Amino acid sequence: MTAGSHAIKAEVATRSKLRRRHSLSDMTSDAVLVLLLLGFVAPIVWMIILAFQSDRAIISMFWEIDLTLDNVASILSPAEPFRAQLVNSIIVVTGTVVLCGAASTLAAYSLSKLRLSGWLNAAVNVSCAVVPLLPPMALVPGFYVTLIQTGLLGSLTGLVILNTILNLPFATLLMKIGFDDIPPALQEAASIDGASEARTFWMIMLPLSMPSLITSSLFTAIMTWNEFLMGLTMTSGGTTSPLSVGIASLVQPYEVRWGQLAAAGSLAVVPIMIASVVASKRIIAGMTRGAVK
Amino acid sequence: MKSLFRQRSGVFSKITTVPFLLLVIGVGGYSWAQVIVMAFSRLRIEAGQFVWSPAGFDNFRDILANDVALYSVAVTTIFVIATVWLSVLLGLLLALLVQRSKRFNRLAQVVLLWPAMVAPVVVSLIWLLILSPNIGVLNKLLDTFMLPTQDWLGMEVGAIVAIVIVDVWHWTPVAFLMLYTALCAVDEEAVEAARCDGANEWQVIRYVKIPMLMPAILGTIFIRAVMGVKAFDEMYLLTAGGPNNATTLVSLHIRDVFFDQLNYGYGSAFSVLIVLLMSLIIALVLTVRTLRHSRFFMREVQE
Repeated sequence: MTAGSHAIKAEVATRSKLRRRHSLSDMTSDAVLVLLLLGFVAPIVWMIILAFQSDRAIISMFWEIDLTLDNVASILSPAEPFRAQLVNSIIVVTGTVVLCGAASTLAAYSLSKLRLSGWLNAAVNVSCAVVPLLPPMALVPGFYVTLIQTGLLGSLTGLVILNTILNLPFATLLMKIGFDDIPPALQEAASIDGASEARTFWMIMLPLSMPSLITSSLFTAIMTWNEFLMGLTMTSGGTTSPLSVGIASLVQPYEVRWGQLAAAGSLAVVPIMIASVVASKRIIAGMTRGAVK
Repeated sequence: MKSLFRQRSGVFSKITTVPFLLLVIGVGGYSWAQVIVMAFSRLRIEAGQFVWSPAGFDNFRDILANDVALYSVAVTTIFVIATVWLSVLLGLLLALLVQRSKRFNRLAQVVLLWPAMVAPVVVSLIWLLILSPNIGVLNKLLDTFMLPTQDWLGMEVGAIVAIVIVDVWHWTPVAFLMLYTALCAVDEEAVEAARCDGANEWQVIRYVKIPMLMPAILGTIFIRAVMGVKAFDEMYLLTAGGPNNATTLVSLHIRDVFFDQLNYGYGSAFSVLIVLLMSLIIALVLTVRTLRHSRFFMREVQE
């Protein structure tokens, strides 16, 4: 492209910017946007406010403000199963991130950089395409029977395995996109220098794929932390269940402690909100890249 | 570019796929095979062990005779159509607004992540705190402005509207992100060219941006539709399928028959039917797409 056309383009751009800056329509569109954003944020903020309100103020018909830390304190007291559930969730998330990260990295590496036999390649590709389309609920009956047969029903190991299966296809896809970006010349160079395939992977490819591994692990962690269905159907509740199931069990048919409920929900949400502020670029990239391909 | 060195394949390349295949095909495939066997069996639990006996197509016959099962397919279809359209339209509007906005561009992208990142269980909790007829903030607001209060969760149509609103709130951000990414990739020169030709903002959106976004919009519709069929968590807590089964989506029906009525064969048979139905629809969509592509191609060739 010539310098002249650049200048024309730049001129057009500034002119249209000037025109737009003065227009009223920019302000109206910003106003609509802010209103919509409020609609998306206000419900979350309201829950966090209720977490610090007394039950009396929540039930009241009027707009009362009665700030208290009782809800958070009572939910974290040793008498409640909440602390055990928090630990369960952390264990399941850690286990799933490690298992899913290892399995997806290895599979993605061979898909992207190694010559696989045709049917192995097809098996991995087809499962990556099919598993995300299946409703998890349709798999629950089968998982339930399999876990009974292996004696893993109600155990955290069982939850780690099921969460890994549900997250593996997407994680493998993200990792494969990451490995595809690494130039094959590096692999050739290592191979010429006499490194074995395993050594090439471990010393060169794995460190280079770290950004994708972090993104995919972040996704796996969030999905597992939020997972509810498997926790609900594969554990017997109480101190054996993960946090999400514990929160749901606070909604009782007879008496609901609304303040505690809001506090538990807030404790589950705040880490995710912080993570999404810190790593928003990564999350957006992962979501859009994985979904588009 | 494909590497020339790929032909040397050692033991390592064979081992690398083992964990993946063991988990997904081994455990996942084995579990799915169990679902299929169960679908054709009658199961009882004796002394903590399953006792299987063959049942032929009995379970499938039971499904066709069950009003709740048929209703759940219908209400899921309505739910998917409503939530897909609303979330894609709202996501498109947000994408266009965010791209225009200089001041709120960055903020909007972070803030809009939140609903999608929140645990579905917490989403239903958040909306319970809003919609509850007793303590919900919506009724407090309505009361403050002297308007009649609502009890949507207690009414059949109201409950369906409520779960649609909750799902749209929860997943519009995903539609927004996908459409916004595609919008940022739209060629600026085409937009500027249209502006120079005197197109106003609305014409630029209608005749330049939306046609160029079409592949992304179709992709978003597909992904949102699959998510709609999967929906479970939000409704389980918010309405538990009620009132009078009005919000019993297919996944809630499977959980109910499998874990509450302990009708294992029927629950599995329903799972198999849903997966078959989904595969059929996806196959249909893919065929239509391929046909339209080839027709488009033919027209190109003729011209």
